[in-house]
Amino acid sequence: MEKYSHDLIIVGAGLAGLRAAVAAAEVNSKLDIAVLSKHHPLRSHSVCAQGGTGAVMREKDSYDLHAYDTVKGADFLADQDAVEFFVRQVPREIVLTEHWGCPWSRNAEGKIDQRPFGGHTFPRACFAADMTGFLEMHAIYGKATSYNNIKFYDEWFVTSLIVEDKAAVGLTAIEMKTGEIQAFRAKSIIMATGGHERIYEFTTFSHSTTGDGMAMAYRAGAPLEDMEFVQFHPTGLVPSGVLITEGARGEGGYLLNANGERFMKKYAPEKIELGPRDVVSRAEQTEILEGRGLQGPYGPYIALDLRHLGEERINLRLPLIRDVAIKLGGVDPVKEPIPIRPAAHYSMGGIKANVKTETPIAGLYAAGECSCISVHGANRLGTNSTAECLVFGAVAGEEAAKHASSSSLHEVPQEKLSAEENRIHEIVSRNGNERAPAIRDEMRRIMKEEVWIYRNGPQLETALKEIRQLKNRFRSVRIEDKGKPFNTGLLETLQLDFMLDLAEVTIACALPRAESRGAHSRTDYPKRDDQNWLKHTLAYCTGDGPRLEYMPVTITRWPPVARTY
Amino acid sequence: MGIKVEKTVEFRISRFDPEQNKHYASTFKVPIRKGTTLLDALLYIKDNFDDSLTFRHSCRMGICGSCGINVNGQPMLACYTQVLDLGADSLLLEPLSNFQVIKDLVVDIEPFFDTYKRIKTFLIKPEQEFKKTDEFAQSPQDLKKYWDLTLCIKCSICNSACPAAIDAKFLGPSSLTATYRFISDSRDQGLDERLKPMADNVWLCTQCNSCTMFCPKKLPCANAILDDHSLLVEAGNIPRTVKDVLESVYKYHNPMGTHQSRRMEWAKDLDVKTFPTVAKADVLLFVCCSNAFDPRNQEIARGMVSILNRLGVDFATLGAEEWCCGDHMLRLGEKGLFEELSAHNVSMFEKLNVKKIVTISPHCYNTFKNDKPYSDAKLNVQHYTQFIAEAIEQGRLKLPNTVKRRIAYHDPCFLGKRNDVYDAPRNVLRSVNGVELVEMKRTRQNSFCCGGGAGRVWTEEADPDKRPCVSRVKEALELGVENIAAACPFCITTLEDAVKVLDVESKISIKDILEVMKEAA
Repeated sequence: MEKYSHDLIIVGAGLAGLRAAVAAAEVNSKLDIAVLSKHHPLRSHSVCAQGGTGAVMREKDSYDLHAYDTVKGADFLADQDAVEFFVRQVPREIVLTEHWGCPWSRNAEGKIDQRPFGGHTFPRACFAADMTGFLEMHAIYGKATSYNNIKFYDEWFVTSLIVEDKAAVGLTAIEMKTGEIQAFRAKSIIMATGGHERIYEFTTFSHSTTGDGMAMAYRAGAPLEDMEFVQFHPTGLVPSGVLITEGARGEGGYLLNANGERFMKKYAPEKIELGPRDVVSRAEQTEILEGRGLQGPYGPYIALDLRHLGEERINLRLPLIRDVAIKLGGVDPVKEPIPIRPAAHYSMGGIKANVKTETPIAGLYAAGECSCISVHGANRLGTNSTAECLVFGAVAGEEAAKHASSSSLHEVPQEKLSAEENRIHEIVSRNGNERAPAIRDEMRRIMKEEVWIYRNGPQLETALKEIRQLKNRFRSVRIEDKGKPFNTGLLETLQLDFMLDLAEVTIACALPRAESRGAHSRTDYPKRDDQNWLKHTLAYCTGDGPRLEYMPVTITRWPPVARTY
Repeated sequence: MGIKVEKTVEFRISRFDPEQNKHYASTFKVPIRKGTTLLDALLYIKDNFDDSLTFRHSCRMGICGSCGINVNGQPMLACYTQVLDLGADSLLLEPLSNFQVIKDLVVDIEPFFDTYKRIKTFLIKPEQEFKKTDEFAQSPQDLKKYWDLTLCIKCSICNSACPAAIDAKFLGPSSLTATYRFISDSRDQGLDERLKPMADNVWLCTQCNSCTMFCPKKLPCANAILDDHSLLVEAGNIPRTVKDVLESVYKYHNPMGTHQSRRMEWAKDLDVKTFPTVAKADVLLFVCCSNAFDPRNQEIARGMVSILNRLGVDFATLGAEEWCCGDHMLRLGEKGLFEELSAHNVSMFEKLNVKKIVTISPHCYNTFKNDKPYSDAKLNVQHYTQFIAEAIEQGRLKLPNTVKRRIAYHDPCFLGKRNDVYDAPRNVLRSVNGVELVEMKRTRQNSFCCGGGAGRVWTEEADPDKRPCVSRVKEALELGVENIAAACPFCITTLEDAVKVLDVESKISIKDILEVMKEAA
């Protein structure tokens, strides 16, 4: 095993990771920064973000409005100090990406255009047609590669985080091209590895976004916060689950049931299709459960109708959506409605971090979807995820750079490295009778049947039991490919290992929360319960599964009120 | 879910085991439903048959650029291609071309991304401008000027299909398009700085159009590179070799550096009529500078005359009034010169009331059909292979002699890729008694450029192993054919050079289809 050393290591090269790299490089041009990613940065899931980035850019909008929309959208579980900081930082990020070259869509005056989005009371979604994340990513990557002090390790798969005396000191990673496992030392480490919704089958997620960073931090002793809150996006394309942006409704699209009704009028009379995602997804699920879904070869669905927008507007504002619907859904939205249904989309939960992105482990920072800071509480508003990646990516880069500048490298103990090498070697050389794809599919079946939009106690108990059985079965997984270079059979098995932990944590956190709040909808506890549950869940890794603790929510100016749209 | 299996498709996959350094093939049968993408099929194989099958993938919605592969010789995104749309029962899957294979379908894309390090991928402006705390203004119209060029997903498919990219000196279609994207951005002020990294290599582009044809996001890459050429021409930042070609055309109206008065010397013993000596003729034969002046290619023109005479066609040429069509000049970026040449030729066509034009070169054919002002003149133009194929189909042409030979046909890009003429030349060749037509591995849409387009035929200085023509001749040698036949004087020149460079004159020779026909006549 070779040893690599850097001042700062960033794991993950999506929006948050790349933004952190640029921010850190700006703090100190002498700082030695490494970005490790299991694929090339531009393959990161952030390129799939479509609709926009929410920012207060114009006079009629205000930070207070954005903050309150976010807090209300979060069903009052967000930490309001973090939210207030967050909304003030986004405009700067929009301007920075613009200065780097991001081709934001423009209004007639030549300023960055903004469109309406669910749960926002002002049209504040800055957008670049319907490829916002893609174009932000390419702009930031274009900038990040211009710094001499950022070294990219593309296609390096990080397997574990090394923590000594409650401080992050390094990590282990497989160089995919050779298959060699190597050790890295660093003074600061930023996790920016995204969410874990690949624990579900019907999801908007890229295949490779499997929550690795969350799982590694969890195993290394960092608590995961609010993992029971998984967002279901109202418009996942049938049959693949590929995202159809909320911007489609922001532009005026309708949701229709089998009777051709705009059923959202019933559930969110004021906002209709532009209610927050938890509300709209529940409404769709209810329509389907009550028999008003449309029937197709892939089961019941809801129709997203854009026809009245006209071909010109669709081509200008939603070109990717049109192309994706034609190529992957077999429908042209100019001529017919798009078949959609709710799809697992976002993890409000993640590695517990404060507003400076510091985690409880010294030297370990978390930003983007893998973190929980928490600005999204129980339900994130559309446009706030790319915004969060930019804002807290920058904060993480700055904070981790400062920390690295004032601390020194630690020795990584040899036995930790050997243990990790042995762990991986053991997985490759197993001769069991289980196959990873079968366990993966079973995990996704459980998550779909028992831990979907609506859950209840008995379902969650069953799910927890079944996931734990799967974890047992995983110990007998056999990988046919025994080769070293680019062994994707091994890497997918390691990802499954991470996902099984995260599925277990998600269920274990959901089970005791006896209320319905935001994206966590309990049929046995249909009401929000501020008396008992206005608190964050923390899950700590133990040999017997997660140990839960709770932590108060920071309320600054907006005490919880009834949430209507 | 219960959606029915439409058919079972055989997937033949090219494999590579890096530890054994072994290439091999695997075949799998995959049930295909409506909606099954190539990526779905690969995942099905990996899940059910062979977990060692290795390929990249991530977003499965055509935006992350991971999953480019060659399918039946054509590069495409696996996740963005429906298997049923390919209309085949058996598919050959191979890694992208022009890259080292790491394992199975995974190639080393680092050299591709290295090209981005040679250019600037962010806005260039005076430093104080970046102190502004609000956005730079840009009108929707100005955004539109470069918007399409921002959609490159960096999948490297263009590079894989690009003949010039076999030379690492070449920046490649993606980086050159990215450069033009910033140049066209009204916010950017870095023109001079952006021209530098491409000035010595952008000329390797042959404008074969493969990048544009195969781009999964439909970026007009070839046009962006043409515009890069134009900017360099405007800036006077061009290599000596290119300058020589352009100067020859300024001076003589042809790139061959010969006085126009000698343009008909190739036909001196053939009794070919010329306008305006004759007032009218049924067909205007547009000869092409290369066929008129290059002693080697004059044989092609003479072959054309023998066929036209055999068919009894009433034809004439423009004689000394035929100026270079300008196709190469336009694609070298000399738009002003092209305007002058095309204006002259169009005015001749109009003055002589030309009803039908037959070109010997695909380049003349292409520009007459597709570039203003020719295209506005709505010329009735055919390439000679189309003209002759029609005659054969109508039973008007029968050649008496047998030419017993194995021949591979090389598709000229300006006939095939740019104008979809693939069958006519093949039909003509097949009509010759004794000819056994053999297809090269890279054929038709997937053909590999000879390296002669956009003036490169006259400016080639690359090492032999970096010349597309050499790669092409090697490909034909593997087939054991005696001839490569083409239907373009520039293909003939470049491929013949490659035969000499490879020192294989005893094994293979290069023929224009017209020369094969002349042998049979």
